[in-house]
Amino acid sequence: MRREVLEEYASLTPQVTLIAHGVGLSIGSFNDWEESYLRLLDELFARFDLEWHSEHLGFTVVAGENTGTMFPLPHTEEELDLVCERVRILQERYRVPFLLDHVIHLLPEAPAQFTPAGFLNAITSRTGCGLILDAYNLECDAYNQRFDIPAFLDELDLAPVRELHIAGGVRHDGFQLDIHSRPTCDSTLALARDIVVRSPGLRIVTYEFLKEAIPSLGHDRICSELTRIRQAILQ
Amino acid sequence: MTQLEAHQRGLLDLIKSRGDPSDDPYLRRVAGSRELAMMREIAVWWRALQLETQCYFTSRLLKRLGCFDELIVTYFNRNATSPFVEELSRDFLAWLCSQQDPLIHAVSQFEHAFLEARAGSEEAFEVLWDRHPDLVFRALEDGGNLPVPEPGHVYRMRIDRGLPRMVDSALPVH
Repeated sequence: MRREVLEEYASLTPQVTLIAHGVGLSIGSFNDWEESYLRLLDELFARFDLEWHSEHLGFTVVAGENTGTMFPLPHTEEELDLVCERVRILQERYRVPFLLDHVIHLLPEAPAQFTPAGFLNAITSRTGCGLILDAYNLECDAYNQRFDIPAFLDELDLAPVRELHIAGGVRHDGFQLDIHSRPTCDSTLALARDIVVRSPGLRIVTYEFLKEAIPSLGHDRICSELTRIRQAILQ
Repeated sequence: MTQLEAHQRGLLDLIKSRGDPSDDPYLRRVAGSRELAMMREIAVWWRALQLETQCYFTSRLLKRLGCFDELIVTYFNRNATSPFVEELSRDFLAWLCSQQDPLIHAVSQFEHAFLEARAGSEEAFEVLWDRHPDLVFRALEDGGNLPVPEPGHVYRMRIDRGLPRMVDSALPVH
C-alpha cells in the first residue's frame, strides 16, 4: 500500500474510527480470491485498529484473470458454501466483524436455488457476519430488473445490518448505473429512512461517491448533501 | 468443471468478447443482451478513465490520432487487465510499445519508463525519437501541430531514477 496513503490514515487516528470497505477481494471466485488484496488488508490491520471491514458480494477474478467489472454471485448452494468458508477465514484472520455488501445486477438473474434475500440470510445465519445494505443499489435493481424491494426487505433478516450505503448515480442508455457521482434522490433517502427504522443493529450510514466525482459535485455540495442526508434519516 | 466454474468462465469470455457462447442457456441469453453490452461499456470506460489519468501524454497522443477508444477496447479484450491502476498503466504502455507507429512507440516507451522509475525501478531506460521530444510534449500539452519526423536525426533520451528530474534532455545522435 502506498506510504502516503498509510500516513494520511495515521494522521486521522485516533480522532476518527477507521473501517475498511473493499472492492478487490473477489470473494466469490470459483478458485482463488485476490491474494494481493489480502496482503493489502494484512498491511492495514498490522498498522491500524479497524472497527470492522467489509467487501462486495461478487467476483472480479476468474482463474486469475480480472473481469474488469463486478459480477454478482449466482444464488446457489455451491456458491454459498464457498463464500461461507471464505468469510470464516476472514473472521479468523482479522478477528473483527466482517460485513458483506450486495452489488447491483445489471445482467438477468442467473439460475438460483435461493432468493436474493434467502441467500444473504443463509450467509449471515451460517457465519454470523454482518451486512451492508445499499439503498441506491436496490433502486438500481428495481429500475433495471424490476426487483421487488419491499418483498426483499420483508424476507431479509435485518438484524445483521450494521451499515447502510446511499448514493446518487446516473441513467445511461436506459440503465440506472452504480457510478456514484451525484447527490442522492429523495426516493433513495426515503428508502434509507425505511431501512434505518427497521434495522436494529445499524451503526453508520455512508454517503458514497467516487473521487473522480468530487470536482463536479464540489466540496460545498458534498457537505450540504451530508446535512440533507442526516436530516432525512433522523427525522 | 463445476457449474460455478463454468458460469464464471462463461461470463469472463462474454465480457471479453471471446469465442462463441457455450451451450448453457443462461450464458446464451446473456450473450446477445443489451445488459451485457452495457457491462462491457462500463468496464472499458473505467479502463479508459484510469489510463487517461495515469498515461497523460500517451492518451492525449492516441486521442489526437483518433485511435484511443479502439485501442482501449482491443487491449481490454485481448489482455488480462490488472485491477491496480499503476500496474494497468504500465502493462498498457508496455503493450503499446509494440506498436508500429514510431511516435506512439516513443511516447508510450517514454511514459512507461517514467512510471517504472517513479515506482522505484533502479533500471536506466533509453528512448530514441525520430523528432525532438520537447516539441512533441509541447504539442500534446497545448494542442498545437505535432512535429514531423526529421530524416537523418535521432534524439536519445535517458530516464533514470538517479537523474535530478528522472529525465535528461534529449540529445541528437547522428
